[in-house]
Amino acid sequence: MSPVATEARFMGKVTAMTMHEMQNILAIIRESAGLMGDILRINAKIDFKHRPNMERTLDHISTQVERGKKLLEATSRLAHSPDDDLLLACDLSIYARTVALLSERQIRLKGAAVHFTPASSPLPVAVGALMVLMSGYHAVQWAVGPGGKNTDIHIGLEPGLTEHGLTITPPPGQDVDPDQLNPDSMNLPGQAARIDWDGQRLALFFPARTGE
Amino acid sequence: MEMRDWNILLVDDEVEFISTLAERLELRGIPNRVVYDGESALKAVAENEPQVMVLDVMMPGLKGLDVLQRIKVEHPAVQVILLTGQGKTRDGIDGMRLGAFAYLMKPLDLEELIRTLAEAMQARSGEQS
Repeated sequence: MSPVATEARFMGKVTAMTMHEMQNILAIIRESAGLMGDILRINAKIDFKHRPNMERTLDHISTQVERGKKLLEATSRLAHSPDDDLLLACDLSIYARTVALLSERQIRLKGAAVHFTPASSPLPVAVGALMVLMSGYHAVQWAVGPGGKNTDIHIGLEPGLTEHGLTITPPPGQDVDPDQLNPDSMNLPGQAARIDWDGQRLALFFPARTGE
Repeated sequence: MEMRDWNILLVDDEVEFISTLAERLELRGIPNRVVYDGESALKAVAENEPQVMVLDVMMPGLKGLDVLQRIKVEHPAVQVILLTGQGKTRDGIDGMRLGAFAYLMKPLDLEELIRTLAEAMQARSGEQS
């Protein structure tokens, strides 16, 4: 194993352990806020001055737990991506969602939003999870360009027989240059994936993994 | 079977999490017992076999999947719902191969847990009839 791969594994392992702790912290916050909500509901007839403030605060906690849960999912998937069972193959439907979750903040900072349409079934591909994440993330950055209002990005999937595609659609009229899609900088060496730009949407096609 | 007749065992080393979850289930009329490690879980099952066990995968000492394997040999009728981490689907899939009824990710959605508990209870009655 190369030193870089060893380092990626180390970072992944430590991050995954930390995320496991975060998950327990979120779970405790969610259940504790949930219990307070339960008690307020049971005592719905008892009115007190600050009931609306409490209810609003519990709503905020619940919203933030959901937000944290998504970040946790994305970071955990990223952390586990150098694991043995994900080095050479993964489920594209899971990692396309992870690309969308990981890109959200970057896209939001550019004043845009990311929309993800999930697949209806697993899409096993013969490419490692880390490679899908890196190439997908890079492609999303390319698609959003400088960003701004009305520059929402759509991420989706195109299932096929011999290959499955991760699709990224920039907003109509967005000035994107397909020549900037360099396979090397997208971590797509050799035959790992086929890049297809049809003038409207970019697709990264990965070889389907058969015999699952 | 009515919810109040369910016999549920909750197993997790995160005391604040599992005891609060237990309290919320109680408020909904679902009786349950709580233990905080794998060894105590095996003891609790031997003393009073639950219909369904909610079991955390990642615990110090005896791991959740080890507990599951032992339970499936010694008390095969017990339905086991695993609690796994976000992004670690592999544990859930391994658990299903070892005979778990389902796996749910933390932080939990309480309504989803209750639905899964009901399905596990139904599966258990189906297996026993």
